[in-house]
Amino acid sequence: MTNRPTTAPENGPEAVRVERPVVEFLRMYVRNWAAVAGFIVFSAIVFAALFAPVILAVDPFDMVWMPFTPPGQDGYILGTDNLGRDMFTAIVYGARATLVVGGSAAGLTIVIGLTIGSLAGYYRGWVDEVLMRITEFFQVLPPLLLAMVLVALFEPTLPTVAIAIGVVTWTGVARLARAEFMRIRELEFVKAARSIGSRDRRIIWRVILPNALPPLIVNAALTVGIAILFEAALSFLGLSDPNVMSWGKIIGDNRDYLLDAPWTVTIPGVAIFLTVLAVSLIGDGLNDAFNPRLRER
Amino acid sequence: MTLHDNPRSPSASPEACLDTAMHAVDNKSATFEDAGGSGANVQRLNPGLAADPVIWAEPKTHREEKMKKFLVALTSAAVALTAAAASAEEPKRGGTLTFSYRIIAGHFNPTIASGTPTGIPGTQLFAALLRFDDEWNPKPYLAESWDISDDGLTVTVKLRDNARFHDGKPITSEDVKFSIETYQEHHPFKPMYAPVKSIDTPDPLTAVFNLSDPHPAILLAFSSQLGVVIPKHVYGNTDNIRQHPQNSQDIVGSGPFKLKEFKPGEYIILERNEDYFLEGKPYIDRIVYKKISENTSRVIALEKGDVDLTAFESDAPVLDRLKKNEHLTLTPDGYSAIGPLEWLAFNTKRKPFDDKRVRQAVAYAIDKEFILKVLYGGYAQRSLGPIHPGSVFAPKDVNPYDYDVEKAKALLDEAGYTPDADGIRIRTTLDYIPAGGTWKRKTEFVKAQLKKVGIDVTIKASADFRAWIKTVSNHEFDMTMDSVFNWGDPVIGVHRTYQSTNIRPGVPWHNTQQFQNAEVDAVMDRAGKELDRDKRAALYGEMQKLVVDEAPIAYLHTSPYHTVFNHERIGNPPVDSIWGVCSPWDEVYIR
Repeated sequence: MTNRPTTAPENGPEAVRVERPVVEFLRMYVRNWAAVAGFIVFSAIVFAALFAPVILAVDPFDMVWMPFTPPGQDGYILGTDNLGRDMFTAIVYGARATLVVGGSAAGLTIVIGLTIGSLAGYYRGWVDEVLMRITEFFQVLPPLLLAMVLVALFEPTLPTVAIAIGVVTWTGVARLARAEFMRIRELEFVKAARSIGSRDRRIIWRVILPNALPPLIVNAALTVGIAILFEAALSFLGLSDPNVMSWGKIIGDNRDYLLDAPWTVTIPGVAIFLTVLAVSLIGDGLNDAFNPRLRER
Repeated sequence: MTLHDNPRSPSASPEACLDTAMHAVDNKSATFEDAGGSGANVQRLNPGLAADPVIWAEPKTHREEKMKKFLVALTSAAVALTAAAASAEEPKRGGTLTFSYRIIAGHFNPTIASGTPTGIPGTQLFAALLRFDDEWNPKPYLAESWDISDDGLTVTVKLRDNARFHDGKPITSEDVKFSIETYQEHHPFKPMYAPVKSIDTPDPLTAVFNLSDPHPAILLAFSSQLGVVIPKHVYGNTDNIRQHPQNSQDIVGSGPFKLKEFKPGEYIILERNEDYFLEGKPYIDRIVYKKISENTSRVIALEKGDVDLTAFESDAPVLDRLKKNEHLTLTPDGYSAIGPLEWLAFNTKRKPFDDKRVRQAVAYAIDKEFILKVLYGGYAQRSLGPIHPGSVFAPKDVNPYDYDVEKAKALLDEAGYTPDADGIRIRTTLDYIPAGGTWKRKTEFVKAQLKKVGIDVTIKASADFRAWIKTVSNHEFDMTMDSVFNWGDPVIGVHRTYQSTNIRPGVPWHNTQQFQNAEVDAVMDRAGKELDRDKRAALYGEMQKLVVDEAPIAYLHTSPYHTVFNHERIGNPPVDSIWGVCSPWDEVYIR
């Protein structure tokens, strides 16, 4: 965190207690109990996803028992699905695909959005015009439909799905980054950097970007949630890799049996809900911690 | 062109739709709806039917109870059907019959396209030379009588003298000659009329077919949508009949109904032909053929009484729901000629499936009972070989490849595919028809099953129906789920899948397995020229034993097609023929 306008007191009896930015950030974050809860839930999900093969050394596609065994019966705590696959295993392994797709799609969103937004906001003029018209083009396309077309054009595999989601969700980040860059490029310290002869690349990367990051990080967290929902929607429509277990796929596979075996749809639904909620709460907490205007609250 | 783009289209009849969609391209009037459909619905699967002793050993009492309920439901449906048939009341004249199908064709000329969307209205508009009852016996239709010479090389057909086209012109042997020649030139089923060398027309009511070889399926080819008669004076005036505007509008037909109105992609209205050559028929005034792609909408329309008749219903949840309705009757009758089969095909030119033992191992490793009971809710029938169980040539005494994991493993060992450190013997891929949930579920089920014997399967999802057709017809697959129709006679719909001469990359549903077996070729050759039904049956028996043993295909089951009708409204539903709804509805009446 460079350029943060903090003034360290030299000396004196009533020295102001000074925090390092990280500590200050954590203190602000912890104050938001909901964000802490979100972090705990999300960590648990990530842990389950990372160590799935260690926790459960089985294939989630194995048919282990009678189809539609209700939760709790015969030792299957979450029951079985329409082919007799263990729902618990499917949920644990499904977390992997769901998080990988959600995370990489969000990463892609940030990369595309930040690149386009920063260039447009920094250079303005015709660069801005061109890039923003492109952004608008993507904005007016119905996102789910475009993602479906992209997945259908190529083979439905995890990378394709992640790319399709990234391609349809970057516009918000681009507009946000553009606005931040436009605002910050007029501030004194940027002018100062320019006056000592810094090149554009340095100003964009080292001067403006660190100051523009906080709202973008908050946005990225929210994008993870959006990407997870997109993945679920695509899987629900049957547009996902049939060789990889994901939560959306579980719902899509079992949606025809909703009335007879509601748990096969509701359990992965709850998992998606909890993850997206956790991610949103984390985003909220980050916002609080980053936003100076909320600090005095 | 887009065939079956809708990833949620029903597990319906890809083959039935294909020609329609292809023709739609010819006509430049393609709409995506031509081949659409949807499978959204409420599944009511009965968990009790999943009583597979291999996977779950513990008996459950509620399971038996549910099985009992299911059997009772089946019986009561059968009783309802017999009751409807038994009430021998006088057919009434008048009334409108509303039929609904998930697809509407771009045209209704059966001489240039196969496919049921063309065939169902096509057989109402155009009369064929013959019709068939439900036991494969030919009956007079446009032809009054017919005779096959002793050497089987001459077929003489006498036409009835009172038959007229919808424009009033008499139907003559010239028209018959013209129609069959159109089939020869334009219809996708090339072997159907291939032996017909020439057609003589000694007088206006006599047509003589000169054959190069005896043709056992010639009479069957004269029936339903495979042998309709179209007017030469209307359709003979163009170089390219495929582009003829009267294929879809102002149709001059020969059948019991005339075309009143056709709104592409939406509906067809047919009206009674007052000058129909069969006295007093048809009974109904009007047929409304409505396209309803969405399963749920079609079910509701049937339940409300807005629709009286539907066909090719195949989704277990739909059938379960309709079965509960006391006004409706479900019947699997009327599909034996079409003979729809679903199977798992191997690319016999690729490793490891170039080894017969590996193919047999896969066949043993799949639990067919589970597929029938759980995935298809008991509506599909087991199929054991190349020919549909409803055919007179249905396979007998062939190896059924009953579920046997140990045998599968032993065969793989024998073939030299031993397990590696992870227990995997073979890594391979499996394609499937992207046409609805049941296909996908079946594919995932097979993946899980093959894992048990050490075959690691990666499922390949095709983006759309056309992509799948392309992959399979160009032999770019290891294994694939497939659905192929028998089309009445083995000569027409079965030989094509096994003849070594019919490996034609790019053409849908050729011998995509690239199966080559001289013995099978020879037997089929003889069976294809044999006129005696019993001798043919013996030959096809032999052929099927050979093929089933070679296992270029793991045979799974029939497509669970059902015709559904409102028995309180409809008398004589079109199910008493091997052709079902693809036969003339001139005896159907409204109560």
